[in-house]
Amino acid sequence: MENIMIEVRDLRKEFRKAVKEPGLKGSVKALFKPVYNTVKAVDGISFTVPKGEIIGFIGPNGAGKSTVIKMLTGILTPTSGECRIDGKIPTKDRKKYVKEIGVVFGQRTQLWWDLALRETYMVLKEIYEIPDKEYEERMAFLNEVLELDDFITSPVRTLSLGQRMRADIAASLLHNPKVLFLDEPTIGLDVVVKDSIRKAIKKINAENGTTVILTTHDLEDIELLCERIVMIDKGKKVFDGDISELKRRFGQMRELHFELKNSADFEKLDYKGDFSFGEEDFTIELKGTIVDVRFNCDVVSVEEMLSYTLSRVHVKDINVKDADIEEIIRRLYLKGGEMLDAASENV
Amino acid sequence: MKRILKMHLIFIRQDLKKLMEYKVDFLLGAIGFLLTQAVQILCLGIIFSAIPALCYTLNGEVLDAWSFEEVLFIYGFSLIPKGIDHLLYDNLWGLGYWIVDKGDFDKYLTRPINSWIYILCEKFCVDAFGDLVVGVALIVYSLVSMSPETIAEINPLRIIPVVLVIPFAVMIFTSVKTGTAAISFWTKRSGHITHMCYMTNEFAKYPAKIYNTFVKTLITYILPFALTAYYPAIYLLRGESWWSIPVTVAVSLVLFGVSQLIWHRGLKAYESAGS
Repeated sequence: MENIMIEVRDLRKEFRKAVKEPGLKGSVKALFKPVYNTVKAVDGISFTVPKGEIIGFIGPNGAGKSTVIKMLTGILTPTSGECRIDGKIPTKDRKKYVKEIGVVFGQRTQLWWDLALRETYMVLKEIYEIPDKEYEERMAFLNEVLELDDFITSPVRTLSLGQRMRADIAASLLHNPKVLFLDEPTIGLDVVVKDSIRKAIKKINAENGTTVILTTHDLEDIELLCERIVMIDKGKKVFDGDISELKRRFGQMRELHFELKNSADFEKLDYKGDFSFGEEDFTIELKGTIVDVRFNCDVVSVEEMLSYTLSRVHVKDINVKDADIEEIIRRLYLKGGEMLDAASENV
Repeated sequence: MKRILKMHLIFIRQDLKKLMEYKVDFLLGAIGFLLTQAVQILCLGIIFSAIPALCYTLNGEVLDAWSFEEVLFIYGFSLIPKGIDHLLYDNLWGLGYWIVDKGDFDKYLTRPINSWIYILCEKFCVDAFGDLVVGVALIVYSLVSMSPETIAEINPLRIIPVVLVIPFAVMIFTSVKTGTAAISFWTKRSGHITHMCYMTNEFAKYPAKIYNTFVKTLITYILPFALTAYYPAIYLLRGESWWSIPVTVAVSLVLFGVSQLIWHRGLKAYESAGS
């Protein structure tokens, strides 16, 4: 297919880890008789990404997101399986391949600590062999989108995190790559900077048709940027589809939030005894006089829950919240592997 | 090639600028280096004040002897290739000590440039001016104070091959560092291995003949630092061991090949670090 940008088939990465018993004795033992454990960081992942799409990679910590990104960017060699980006295999002919991609790791900068930002871009210009004219046009565009002007003469070490992230993103886009990999680009940033970075990503995607792969823990990133998400957990793909689909399928959770007039009333509420909720379908939390109930509205309707609650206790305030993406993902993370079957049946 | 030079120049300029910024750091580093060298040279001076010359004896028979000036010359010469390697390719130390361990090597792999060249270009180690200045000073001093007979031995034509062999001697240093630093791709850290191998060059500051067979073999064939110092220096002074010049070239090329092989194998084994 022509408009497929990224094709990943049955990608696997195994790490061999030495198992150590605790204490000095264990360390000495490990030195003479090492025992290795094979950890499957990525365990048979397949997906394709069409040209120009923004795709969100989500999953709990340690799920294997970064490992997938590192294999796609040619940093790690896969144990088995294949990935092709624009027809190229990342670890083969790495130097040519990386000319067509841009990579940003939110956790660590790829810029040079002591170089002024302008000089940093000069070095990159040489590395990517960008002609003068193209370089100027590109700089002007990135300047406009990411507002680099305020700090372009400062050394990288003096930049704030938000400035540094913008500088990093600009650095990854200088050579107008076909694919942009963003590993947690909004980590640790304030709302304003997050917003400007999201806008910039959108704009770059729209104007240059850059395909973007983004990993994040910030679900707002996902909701605002991605048409499609791939969720992985324990190295396996758990969900692959667009967000509305995710909401439709897993969006049956509701949140009931109310404030009691008298906190002793709490004992009068026995949702678990009076309704037949499953383990995953219900949680309750009491903080002072405020009660948070999360429940599955397929099991008990919102109306039933409200009338049950109001008939037993006096409340100062009550409201019901719809499932938001965050809630859905929380549930997906908790269930992990089990969801895989539910998700893959219909995908 | 041109773009690598341009890139390298930007980093060199930057590190020179930094030198102005962190004056105290540079001064302390330079003073420390000078003190180390001064103590070593002082020791040599003390030893030589008690003896007329450094002798190599076998079964009580004196087979070879070096004067204080000759030993100083060898010592000074040894600092030149070492200093050039230190000046240009110091970044390799970081690889074995923290770059691989912390996963910082990732960034060298996401740029369209040979990762080894990239890491070499990135740092210009101004501290190395210390090695070079002391080296040149010792060479000049020893030549000036040598006896006229010794000076008469020196054939100026021999200067040409010796100067030409210096880049290859530098390559011996760089290759030893590259090969041992690349071990960290498997072991995560290999700085201490690099350090251990690198420090054998201290033996090479003195005439190789004075050592026992083990050390002599080690510094001539295995970690061939003697080829970077004693052999070319003594060839220049006396015309001895002319074979060491082509051997240095050949050995440096072989070492370079081996170190590149280890490097490229290592890249495949690189595991990054969690983030």
